[in-house]
Amino acid sequence: MLRLWPLRQISRLQNAISLTQQACNKSSVPAPSPELVEVFVDDKQVFVEPGTTVLQACAAAGVEIPRFCYHDRLSIAGNCRMCLVEVERSAKPVASCAMPVMKGMKVKTDSPVTRKAREGVMEFLLVNHPLDCPICDQGGECDLQDQSMAFGSDRSRFTDNAFTGKRAVEDKNIGPLIKTIMTRCIHCTRCIRFASEIAGVEDLGTSGRGTEMQVGTYVEKMFKSEMSGNVIDLCPVGALTSKPYAFTARPWENRRIESVDVMDAVGSNIVVCMRSNEVMRILPRLNEDINEEWISDKTRFAYDGLKRQRLTTPFVRSGTGELVPADWESAFVKIAERVNATDGDLIAGVAGGQVDAEALIALKDMLNRLGSESVCTEEKFPMTNSGIDFRSNYIMNTTISGIEESDLILLVGTNPRLEAPLVNARIRKTWINSDLCVTVLGAPVDLSYDYQYLGDSFELLTDILNDKHPLAKGLKEASKPMIILGSAVLQGENSGAILDTVKSLSEKLRAGSEQEDWKVFNVLHTQANQVGALDLGYAPGVDAMKGSKPSVLFLLGADAGTVKREDLYENALVVYIGHHGDYGAQIADVVLPAAAYTEKDAVYVNTEGRAQIGRQAVSPPGMARQDWKIIRALSEMLGVTLPYDKLSDVRARLGEVSPTFNHAGQVEDAGFFNLSDSATVPRKESRPAVQPLSPALLSLRDFYMTDPISRASLTMAKCVQAVDDAEKNPYSKPEQS
Amino acid sequence: MAKYIEKISNALKIVKHNGGIVGTYLGLYRRDDFKWGTFVGEDKYGNKYYKNDYFFMGKSRWVEYPLSVGHDYDASQIPSEWHRWLQYIADEPPTQLPLPHRPWMADHTENFSGTSREYVPYSTTRPKVEAWVPPKK
Repeated sequence: MLRLWPLRQISRLQNAISLTQQACNKSSVPAPSPELVEVFVDDKQVFVEPGTTVLQACAAAGVEIPRFCYHDRLSIAGNCRMCLVEVERSAKPVASCAMPVMKGMKVKTDSPVTRKAREGVMEFLLVNHPLDCPICDQGGECDLQDQSMAFGSDRSRFTDNAFTGKRAVEDKNIGPLIKTIMTRCIHCTRCIRFASEIAGVEDLGTSGRGTEMQVGTYVEKMFKSEMSGNVIDLCPVGALTSKPYAFTARPWENRRIESVDVMDAVGSNIVVCMRSNEVMRILPRLNEDINEEWISDKTRFAYDGLKRQRLTTPFVRSGTGELVPADWESAFVKIAERVNATDGDLIAGVAGGQVDAEALIALKDMLNRLGSESVCTEEKFPMTNSGIDFRSNYIMNTTISGIEESDLILLVGTNPRLEAPLVNARIRKTWINSDLCVTVLGAPVDLSYDYQYLGDSFELLTDILNDKHPLAKGLKEASKPMIILGSAVLQGENSGAILDTVKSLSEKLRAGSEQEDWKVFNVLHTQANQVGALDLGYAPGVDAMKGSKPSVLFLLGADAGTVKREDLYENALVVYIGHHGDYGAQIADVVLPAAAYTEKDAVYVNTEGRAQIGRQAVSPPGMARQDWKIIRALSEMLGVTLPYDKLSDVRARLGEVSPTFNHAGQVEDAGFFNLSDSATVPRKESRPAVQPLSPALLSLRDFYMTDPISRASLTMAKCVQAVDDAEKNPYSKPEQS
Repeated sequence: MAKYIEKISNALKIVKHNGGIVGTYLGLYRRDDFKWGTFVGEDKYGNKYYKNDYFFMGKSRWVEYPLSVGHDYDASQIPSEWHRWLQYIADEPPTQLPLPHRPWMADHTENFSGTSREYVPYSTTRPKVEAWVPPKK
């Protein structure tokens, strides 16, 4: 069932039906694979599945048909007419993107009829398209430009420049991210289909018809989506372009460096476009297992935060209590003097969520060599029962692409739309294409798809576990249930009880399931490398560290503000190693400037437990250096020289510590499910007081600024402003909450 | 024979021009050449200008920098009116034909490149990376 408008109404009705029925509402047995259909493309024989379109059949034959409106991941519109091909025994050329193949069909993709049809379509498109290519930001990556060169005519019959002139359309203001030049629009409706199908916001649409047709938001309002930037990539012409990137670079000037995003724990694959040692823009990179071809707006637009509030030189706190710029040597000497006079167990390290694995292992090795075992992450994770002893307890076991197999998802205390927009997009995709039923324990936020809201109390969770809740039956009957536990609810007090209950529930479902290898339990992290830190043996949460009152504290990109001066020994020395002048640098006594994620070759482990390598695009600014190199140099000053000099040595060390790092790009499965399940004993004695299972990010406003880079970003600040303004806009639909 | 007499007579003129054997020898350090000529004039910086049409054009007019600059002399220390004569742009030295001085004409300065007073152009473009400035207490 395709749950798109107007079918959505049906799905709403369906939701009114009771929960258990919904959970039992399974898709029928897949139809037996039918015979392949024989098609001839330019007299070349190909066999394709019945129901494929002519365009796909041509692609299978190695012929690419020009297209504007057709897109693999969007529904078929068939309105641009560019994909017209001649089909034998057909009176007119047919739109190949919308035409299903028929047995023995003979398609001619390069016949005079086809060519004439294309030239005609192209001429009509260009009649209504401005000739502003020299000042158009799409120049160089414009489908219209490319296809008019390849398939268009060499002349136009449009001569009425003086009287009526070219068609002109007023530009729309749809927010601080997307620049619209609506005169350039060719009405392919890709953006509309993306908004309603993938992003799940019904903001865009068309009004008028024929030459009066306009794409827009009907009334002036913001395109309020966390993935709105993807329409820039989808737009085949320059009608929707990036506002922050406007007029800054041409695509052929950019060098493209393949990297990995650190704004959330999804680890979206990105391409960093660099020109003259400056990040010009960030684009998505295809990875079917993670982000498909989308990225979130924070990933795409927070890059200007990499150019502001940067630490470019070491700082040392002077006698008057001010941070003054210093050179590396004096900063190191200051640290060494103090560390050499301190007992090992009074030294501690705290790592933030965006720190790469190389820096994490270097800091841990250094502190271990100094005699300290106190290395922890800012983000908490309950240590009760088996805690982080088993990897399966803290990763997303079913993986992101596994969502597509699931038929029932229980979201516990998470708002995936804002915490991991690509995970949410995957759930929405599954929800549209299958009978997936989503239930939510947490806050009633807008997830862009319909779900059953259960409530936000911890009692409900125990009720489900004890079969007192109707959902328990639904979960039991689902063939592949998924429970996604947000890491935000694990930050509060007594979070161990939440984890234990969810674990027990998952164990029960897994044990009762017919699917042997289906792992029910998933944790959705919010920090890019939290899983990597836990894999490397960091202790989650700073509470234990605070208890020991350290006198020397290393903050490795720790900017969440979990450690305060009061938690430390009096006159403790705080060393901050990081890239932005955020919370950590302000409380530090010695600040060592490090590299941000576009400035280093580094490994990050996403919430699935997939290690991925981000590549260096630009060099660190000023005197900043890569994190692990700083720690390596510092270790030499402290007399505990680390045994690695090259990046390959560090990677080898990472591989020694955890096999996760041995094969980048692949999910390292967690094992020992039975063992970790048996180690989980739900506490029965006293029902601990647990606060509501509410995620931290509730509205779109919270989404934009969550880490040092996005907090430093002007674009993200403008987004927050725009969302605030949109709230005041009477035409803007308030978020359903 | 006359050839040798001319050589000797020129040598005597050189010695006389440079103020003795020692002066000739020391002058060699600064000018790398033996020359004699008639004094044409002196500018306000102490540069002395000489001419001798015995030498062919290009060598027939020269400057002797003041001893105060030591070996740090260079062509930019010659003011523009003397440069005019020295480079054969004009026949008359400024002592004979003073150039009109306009109110807007700046005083001559030598080229300070490589010294502490050198001119360093500054960029008007915004820096690519804005550094963090620690908050003042």
